[in-house]
Amino acid sequence: MTAVIETSGLTKRYRRVTALSDCTISVPEGRIAALVGPNGAGKTTLLRLLAGLATPSAGQAVVLGGPPRQDPAYLAEIGFLAQDIPLYRRMTAQDHIGVGAHLNPRWDGESVPDRLSSLKIPLDQPVGTLSGGQRAQVALALTLAKRPRLLLLDEPLAALDPLARRNFLAMLAEAAVGGNLTILLSSHLIADIERVCDHLILLAASRVQLCGDVDTLLAEHRILTGPRRDTTVIARTHAIVREDTTPRQTTLLVRLTGPVADPAWAVADPNLEEIVLGYMSQDDPAYGAGPEAARLSAVGGDR
Amino acid sequence: MTWVTWRQYRYQGALAAALLAALAVVLLITGLHLAQVWHSALAGCMKDGSCGGLSLQSPALTTLVVGTSAVPLLPGLFWGAQMVAHELETGTNQFAWTQSITRRRWLAVRTGWLLLAAAVLAGAVSALVTWWSGPGNALYGNAFEVNKFDVTDIAPVGYAVFAMSLGICAGTVLRRTLPALAITLAGFVGIRALIAQSLRPHYLTPVTVYYNLMGPPPVTGSYLGVSQGVVGPNGKPPVGLGGYVFNGGPVPAACANAVQNPAPCMVAHGYREYLAYQPASRFWAFQGIETGIFVVLAAVLLGITFWVLARRDA
Repeated sequence: MTAVIETSGLTKRYRRVTALSDCTISVPEGRIAALVGPNGAGKTTLLRLLAGLATPSAGQAVVLGGPPRQDPAYLAEIGFLAQDIPLYRRMTAQDHIGVGAHLNPRWDGESVPDRLSSLKIPLDQPVGTLSGGQRAQVALALTLAKRPRLLLLDEPLAALDPLARRNFLAMLAEAAVGGNLTILLSSHLIADIERVCDHLILLAASRVQLCGDVDTLLAEHRILTGPRRDTTVIARTHAIVREDTTPRQTTLLVRLTGPVADPAWAVADPNLEEIVLGYMSQDDPAYGAGPEAARLSAVGGDR
Repeated sequence: MTWVTWRQYRYQGALAAALLAALAVVLLITGLHLAQVWHSALAGCMKDGSCGGLSLQSPALTTLVVGTSAVPLLPGLFWGAQMVAHELETGTNQFAWTQSITRRRWLAVRTGWLLLAAAVLAGAVSALVTWWSGPGNALYGNAFEVNKFDVTDIAPVGYAVFAMSLGICAGTVLRRTLPALAITLAGFVGIRALIAQSLRPHYLTPVTVYYNLMGPPPVTGSYLGVSQGVVGPNGKPPVGLGGYVFNGGPVPAACANAVQNPAPCMVAHGYREYLAYQPASRFWAFQGIETGIFVVLAAVLLGITFWVLARRDA
């Protein structure tokens, strides 16, 4: 399968801070990829680099066969939806359709009313008067009307109520049917994106902690629970992502390299949220540092 | 992109057109009246030399016409300063710059139309004012004066192009509308004043005439004075006695005995007055040079704008 997004060592430094460090990821064509991580992890920076709105300080990105660049042909292939859904507040959805029609070669203007009418979103009102959820739907419909091959969405769900979130994800999933469209969206709402995403990229502390197919990640991780004891034995065969100990019990999130042989451990399947939280809390001093080895081996885990 | 620009600026454009129309009505009505007075009165007063007493312009209208020197600034202030900055402030640049159009082209088309709009607006107002000022300038011979030169003919077009470029550049570099507005205002007023006062009189080597002390300068028509004073037979200004002043310069030591009325003594010693000036025949050359300077400044500012927009992250 060809990769639509392939980055190696992508780094973005601003004057004082490093927003993204040594980011190496790969997203195959046709995937709906979730970009997750705590605030300030570099999600927005990565999306902006891929959209060509920012230039990397080091490393490189290959998107749709070339570097992100100021070039009409490249820009026609990507759809970008920025955080906070910026649209021209005094212009109506209809006006935006006109703008899109004048600026894009493959514009599918009729798809916008089609998508919005079923949601009862007025086309003739200034978008500034619409609710946050409606505005997000308008922006997504406009982005899809470009007929991009890659959709980059920066926290599109953040401002939406649960119902609007469901509608938004439904529109997204519908657009992805057919397999030509690749989507990368950042979000904090792991439960929501678990329903639609089949690829996961976890950024924390400006670094990639995890990148791979969701099913593979689920299959590779286990939660082991057992009486409190030394974990060096299990660490020899499996990578421990995270270790929680109470006076009586030890709970481990491990990345498997084979079957768990020791019958003293109760083995359970984690959900995506548990895996994500396990990796995210590695760098959180409140939880204690997790073993470095697990994180390093997890990077580039996609087959 | 032209359509998009039109769609975003049509209300501002309509407002500007309405204001221009209102100004045109006022100037047309009063201007026609002026022309009539001028033609009927001219024959009479030219004969007896009383044209100096002819009152052609009301103070309110003169103020309005001098006030049109602000017109070239307004498009740059209100449209230029926010053109890029407002997009950056609201984040809509992220929408605009991820359509299938490069930032360079987005900027070029918008800038092009706004420059054209500013030039047309300033040019139209200037044409009206030039026509309106015709009789007055002929009567008073003051077309070269600061309040006339700056509001007539082609110079206002150069100012408008400069103000628009300054506004766009400031908004792009500073990324915020309000500071860009302040810089545009201060920059325009400052540079206009600096060039009008310090540079303009020296565009070409001035013509110098010498004439009798206390006499009127032998120059007629509209001229731009550069410097004026008293020189001795050696061509140098008098070296003075402390404290005594004649015609803005010191009284020469040779006339120390006649400080109360030094003129006859100074004439006897060969002192005379001089005037360095730019003659009326250079009016159009000066209009051209002035306009050229502002167009070049505008080009530099636009160059910076394009460079910054292409290099910096959106």
